[in-house]
Amino acid sequence: MSIEVKNLVKRFEDKVIINDISFKVNDGEILAIVGFSGSGKSTVLKLISGLIPYDEGEIITSEGDIAMVFQYSALFDSLNVFDNISFALRERKDLRKLYTHEQLQKIVAQKLELVGLQGIENKFPSELSGGMQKRVSFARAIVTQPNTILYDEPTAGLDPMSSTLIEDYIVQLKHEINAASIVVTHQMSTITRTADRVIMLYDGKIVFEGSPDELLRQDNPYTKQFVTASLEGPMQMKA
Amino acid sequence: MITFAQYLRKSATYKIFSTLSKELMHFTLTIGQIAQMGIRMTERIFRDGIDIKELFAQCERFGISSLPITLSIVGMTSIIVSSQVANEMVKQGGSGLIGMLMTILTVREVGVIMSGFALISMIGSSLASELATMRVTEQIDAIDVLGVDSVGYLFTPRVLSGIFMMPIVVIIASVFGVILGGVASNIFSGLSYRAYFTSVWLGLYMKDLWVCISKAAVFGGTIALISCTFGYFAKGGAKGVGLATTKAVVWSFISIVIWDMIFAMLFFF
Repeated sequence: MSIEVKNLVKRFEDKVIINDISFKVNDGEILAIVGFSGSGKSTVLKLISGLIPYDEGEIITSEGDIAMVFQYSALFDSLNVFDNISFALRERKDLRKLYTHEQLQKIVAQKLELVGLQGIENKFPSELSGGMQKRVSFARAIVTQPNTILYDEPTAGLDPMSSTLIEDYIVQLKHEINAASIVVTHQMSTITRTADRVIMLYDGKIVFEGSPDELLRQDNPYTKQFVTASLEGPMQMKA
Repeated sequence: MITFAQYLRKSATYKIFSTLSKELMHFTLTIGQIAQMGIRMTERIFRDGIDIKELFAQCERFGISSLPITLSIVGMTSIIVSSQVANEMVKQGGSGLIGMLMTILTVREVGVIMSGFALISMIGSSLASELATMRVTEQIDAIDVLGVDSVGYLFTPRVLSGIFMMPIVVIIASVFGVILGGVASNIFSGLSYRAYFTSVWLGLYMKDLWVCISKAAVFGGTIALISCTFGYFAKGGAKGVGLATTKAVVWSFISIVIWDMIFAMLFFF
């Protein structure tokens, strides 16, 4: 077990955003969290990563680092690619004295090679395309060899080919570092190409849990509405 | 039929007190937030140390890049003051005291407060918008997720550079202001440079210099801490960045005027 979420509850003021959800993700497994906008998907990632505190429940993770790939890459725009990727190794208290500059150069080159972007160490994020920025953010996320990787809408805003490339990297990283991964998405291609299991959130609750094939079978009124992108069904868009 | 409580809620008095209490609550929370960030930063300095390279980068930004605008503002203020005062002083037979007056005024008040205003508009606003942009683009979240303490990483070099660099900026700006005061007195009132610069030292004591330097350090730290705090807690998109910057500038202005009053009461009454 790498991540276990038990009876998690999160409220913002009086509003319940995450309402008593539980799930597990094993090492080397990719869980996709799907649902319409505002269903609480990204909040789950922020709770697991510790960016925001939860009100009730428990999150148990294995020893080791948690990495996160943000929706809009969140690269440090005042730093070049080398400084972005080596950031944690240079600035983290427990890591900063472990590596020489030459070792950092080697590690950054390896990570860039893993995401197919060799030789761009001196470029700044503004000089890269959206897809390249996303791949650099992958390289930055895995630099500390995390055992948990969280992806927040990794293919949002990308063209179909870039999306396929990113989806391939998600699967490749799963094999490379055997991490437990959670992918928040509402893109069908990302779900079918990357996920081992899927959970669907609506109104802060889990309304479906199963494999991507089961999601596509539309046995459940929620999955049926999601897959067909219908306005008719149990899920109503909130104003 | 409406109850007394409902009636009360609709009254103008209730609405005024309700709004005032909300504003007071917000004001108190903001002060608490600024103090909390100051304490967190200090704790991180003792725990994790200081990134010297980043500190120097921020010192360059705080000191060197802000110097032209600071010198311009302090210099022009000195010219304005001396052009108005020198003529009258000469007429009243006090020409031998113009240098002293300009020096006291510049060292005790004009140099430090005008430099403070210049640094708020140039550096404070830039710090707030920089951190606010990092917040709304999730860069601060990324720092935290990567296991680096964002308060220590972002606040420490910026606030320390404010504390270290503002006294230097103020000293340079004050010397520049006193010199320009002499030039302006010479041009507008025909006062000789010798008469002006002989009296410069008359009313200046070591206490003035120490108070000036201490005040500058406090102003610099306050401007940086307030600006970083508002940027750090920014919410929303571009609008949030703008709001955080505006609040940082307004709070910094008010804070340094309050600090100035405290220093005046502590050391000159």
